[in-house]
Amino acid sequence: MATACSVDNSKMADGSVATELPVAIDTKKRRAPKGTWLARDIVALATGRISRLAETLKEKTKNKSSVSPELPIVERRNWLIHQHYIRKDYDTCKVIIKEQLQETNGMCEYAIYVQALILRLEGKIQQSLELFQSCAILNPSSADNLKQVARSLFLLGKHKAAIEFYHEAARLCEKDWEISHNLGLCYFFIKDFKHAEEHLNIALQINKHDKTFMMLGKVHLLAGETDKAIEVYKRAVEFSPENTELLTTLGLLFLQLGKYQKAFEHLGNALTFDPNNYKAILAAGSMMQTHGDFDVAMNKYRVAACAVPESPPLWNNIGMCFFGKKKYVAAISCLKRAHYLSPFDWKVLYNLGLVHLTMQQYASAFHFLSAAINLNPRMGELYMLLAVALTNLEDVENASRAYEQAVALDDRSNPLVNLNFAIFLYNHSDKKGALDQYQEMERKVNLLRDGCTNFEFDPELMDMAQKMGAALQVSENLVWTKPGKDSKSKPNSAAAIKPPGAPLGTNQALGQAMSSAASYNKNIQLPTGVSKGPTMPFEPEPDVQKAPSLPIDPPGPTELAQSDNPKPRTSKRRTKVED
Amino acid sequence: MSESGSDGGKWLDAHYDPVAGLYTFSSCVDLADLSGDGESRLVVGDLGCGSYSMKLKVYRGTVLMSESTLLDLPAGLVAFFMDLHEPRIPAVAVASGPCIYVYKNLRPYFKFTLPGLEVNTLEQDVWQQVKEGQIDPLTLKEMLEGIRKKANIPLSVRSTRFLSLETSDMDAFVQLHNQQPIRRQTVITCIGTLKKSTADEDGVSCLVIGTESCDVYVLDPEAFIILSKMLLPAAPITMDVTGQFDVEFRITVACRNGNIYVLRRESDKPKYCIELSSHPVGLVRVGKNVVVGCTDESLQGFTQKGKKLWRIILPAPVITMAAMDLPTRGFQGVLVGLANCEVQLYRDKNLLSTFKTPNVVTSICFGRYGREDGTLIMTTKGGGLMMKILKRTAVFDDRDSAPGPPLAQSVRLNVPKKTKLYVDQTLRERENGLTMHRAFQMDLSRLRLATAKAYVKALESSLTPMSSSLSEPIKMNAVVQGLGPSFKLTLNIQNTAACRPIMNLAISFLYDESLYRMRNPYMRIPLLVPGLIYPVETFVECTSDKGISDIIKVFILHEGQSSPLLTAHINMPVSEGLMLS
Repeated sequence: MATACSVDNSKMADGSVATELPVAIDTKKRRAPKGTWLARDIVALATGRISRLAETLKEKTKNKSSVSPELPIVERRNWLIHQHYIRKDYDTCKVIIKEQLQETNGMCEYAIYVQALILRLEGKIQQSLELFQSCAILNPSSADNLKQVARSLFLLGKHKAAIEFYHEAARLCEKDWEISHNLGLCYFFIKDFKHAEEHLNIALQINKHDKTFMMLGKVHLLAGETDKAIEVYKRAVEFSPENTELLTTLGLLFLQLGKYQKAFEHLGNALTFDPNNYKAILAAGSMMQTHGDFDVAMNKYRVAACAVPESPPLWNNIGMCFFGKKKYVAAISCLKRAHYLSPFDWKVLYNLGLVHLTMQQYASAFHFLSAAINLNPRMGELYMLLAVALTNLEDVENASRAYEQAVALDDRSNPLVNLNFAIFLYNHSDKKGALDQYQEMERKVNLLRDGCTNFEFDPELMDMAQKMGAALQVSENLVWTKPGKDSKSKPNSAAAIKPPGAPLGTNQALGQAMSSAASYNKNIQLPTGVSKGPTMPFEPEPDVQKAPSLPIDPPGPTELAQSDNPKPRTSKRRTKVED
Repeated sequence: MSESGSDGGKWLDAHYDPVAGLYTFSSCVDLADLSGDGESRLVVGDLGCGSYSMKLKVYRGTVLMSESTLLDLPAGLVAFFMDLHEPRIPAVAVASGPCIYVYKNLRPYFKFTLPGLEVNTLEQDVWQQVKEGQIDPLTLKEMLEGIRKKANIPLSVRSTRFLSLETSDMDAFVQLHNQQPIRRQTVITCIGTLKKSTADEDGVSCLVIGTESCDVYVLDPEAFIILSKMLLPAAPITMDVTGQFDVEFRITVACRNGNIYVLRRESDKPKYCIELSSHPVGLVRVGKNVVVGCTDESLQGFTQKGKKLWRIILPAPVITMAAMDLPTRGFQGVLVGLANCEVQLYRDKNLLSTFKTPNVVTSICFGRYGREDGTLIMTTKGGGLMMKILKRTAVFDDRDSAPGPPLAQSVRLNVPKKTKLYVDQTLRERENGLTMHRAFQMDLSRLRLATAKAYVKALESSLTPMSSSLSEPIKMNAVVQGLGPSFKLTLNIQNTAACRPIMNLAISFLYDESLYRMRNPYMRIPLLVPGLIYPVETFVECTSDKGISDIIKVFILHEGQSSPLLTAHINMPVSEGLMLS
């Protein structure tokens, strides 16, 4: 097969036709005479080259019987096209493709192929599809062409047609990760999760790619199989431990399930590899916030604020950080910015309402809360807050209606709603109603406590409830003592999740937050204990309790999340984190 | 961090010629001591204009020393020792098209042509038949198309060209070509060198070439015979070769299907495969690891066996890559040219240094040039040639890239400030919240009442452009066209009843006669069939040139009734033209 041919072999000129000679070794002796080589070789090369002129010239010089012009090799410049394509130099690429297609009369498959790829990148998907189809005609045995046809169909939203083409491509080339992955993607988009899962798993068996893991996890999540999704992401993180996207997603999933330790671990890892990861910052920040670690959370948020300065959830969280640090004016500023950026987000409105309640701006609070209720009419706590605002605005009738609504809607077994209602009723001298609500609250507390042994109640809530019990002369305060002991006896177990001081601190902070109303407050607290039961005193009390519950989620509520119904309760902060 | 500031101090700018007119890739640039005087030259395969004036250029110092014409686009260029003669002078091999041209002492020395590819026997038979005059060109075309559909071996150039011809040109084409045997040739896409038997720096090397037909050949440097042939699943883009042919070698090839394959001595099939999720742009081997730059703006590290080690995101797309090897200091790194006019130096995944270039760098070559060991040679997009010399004092700290807190963390949060006024308002609300709330509720109720009243009134007096009366449900909308002074006023009237037509309607207009003139301010409407839209047109002329406009009121009336069925107010636009006359 040796096709080497010495250059100064004068027969070269006859074209490589005659020269299948295994010559060559004697070249050492001969040196090409200077300069002549090129001249001669032009002729020689013309056999393998394009220039028509040279060919015709040559033909004239040769005797008639011999050579017809050699056609240029179709794939001659494929490598050049590819080099420009991968360097994203599409303009040059297109020029070369055009020349190449002219030279080969449109028969250069690879040139058409790259032209189609470029068209697709430019968004001309239909055109690219047509070109890929013509590629498939030029070379029907290539799976790649079929794959690209399918890909274009997929991008055009014709998922079923794409699936057919992928299956056809799979017939030509078995065990192709890309085909299986894309099939999974197609099935995902036509909501056939079962098939999607199947194909993505096949893709993973063939070869592991982060993309496929990501997609498979998503499919499981949409199919409602969170456990499986977590398994997939765990495997993915094992496979590529530095992929921040995977780490963040896994962290968020754990967060959703209330496994804070693991969530924090993964989010922390994500932040180690990419300290600017917005999602991870928000999630980790909100967790720190929950534990009262406002300064650290703020540090993280600063990074995020540089990266994504117009994110509503970010400003919401920053606002609540300030709230936790008792900087109410800054809190309102930030929350208002969040509100400006996302005017229909009820969570922002909720927090705004809360901060204004704390600031004793009841009229403003009323507006924010009623706006929030308009956007999300199915949440008991919102009505409860509204009722508090209304109570302070001395609109007893509407306040009572709001409480009733709150109690009716409270499906999260939040004892706070009932306690507040009880206090309200008591203050308006409806002792019987108050007793009913108090008992309802006790029921909920028992439920919660049974659900989770080391359940920790907000001490403020317990304190208030005990006073209320005394006022109502209910004997079975036992309800409280138990959980109280529980929480005290096992602070360490809880500490794994949060610093023990934190919840208290936040509550105190809030208590002091009310400092402007302090005189008011203190007067009140005594009386409740004494159960003098003047109407006035109780009023501000409720929101002192509320305040901790909502923004700073940590003490009671998030714990609730762990025990009973994780999704709904935790959703508040978390969903914000995710979007 | 080693940002731009500190890097001015690491490199000396030796030479920059922005109009050197070089169009080339890293694969077509090499450094070699071509005359055996201990001074390295720069050899560049210049693609010229991309289709003509391709040149082989040799630089010495800052001067272009020699220039010779190339016949085809150079796909790759390597300098290598092909024999054991003294003085040790390397030859230069230029791969272009299906051939390798070998130059020695900068003179053409030898040409090697790739063997032809296997030709489809069916195709050969068909052409044979044509030659013998057994079938005509049309039948030939049909048969060739049939072959193209079924056969595993692709058609030759001649057949594909023939298939693309018009019927009228076929005869001539067949006449011209049928005397020749059919051949299929392929093209070289990349070239590398592999030491034959010794690892010495000036040991004899084999040429390793990758072709469009997905083959990899190893050529004997003296006899130019094929020592070994290996098959890849896709066409190669670029390759890295290490080891010795006679002992053990490893060829790492990046391919057009986005995979990287590792070939070993004993097997003619790839031993390992690395599947990337995007196309590889450059491939560099550092020690035992492979560093790949991908089109998704990432740099990835793999072991020789294809295990993924790390992946980092780059600030811009990769344009070219090259190894930076300084054996005297035991330094090995990877230079990456980026689309944002930067060149970055990485050791593993740690960024050691970055410097800016005046234009996007298209090729990088690091090595001994002249008598200087650490010379960096780059060509830029506009055709510029840049040479930098590594300072002898330059130190690349091997610091871990784990940075402290990001800079942004120390930036103050931009929290909107609140004014004194705001605080005052807050205090006021605190004191008078109750009154404010009540006043608001009161006003809100009043507003609602007023709105409801106005609405009822509008309904009662048919002020709306919709008539909801049961007997004559009509809808109307109006369109004003024109710039003035004359406007065309079109009223689209629709009977919205289910089946009953409406008769005896009329339109009348009410307007300021000092401003507008209307051709017919009263019109009768024809019978309205349910569902259809009836356009009623009229012309309005604005008689004022003061640039003011007014409202024209349109009434639809039932004949014999004084109160309108519906009313529309048309806000006339300001007349932009002057009234003639």
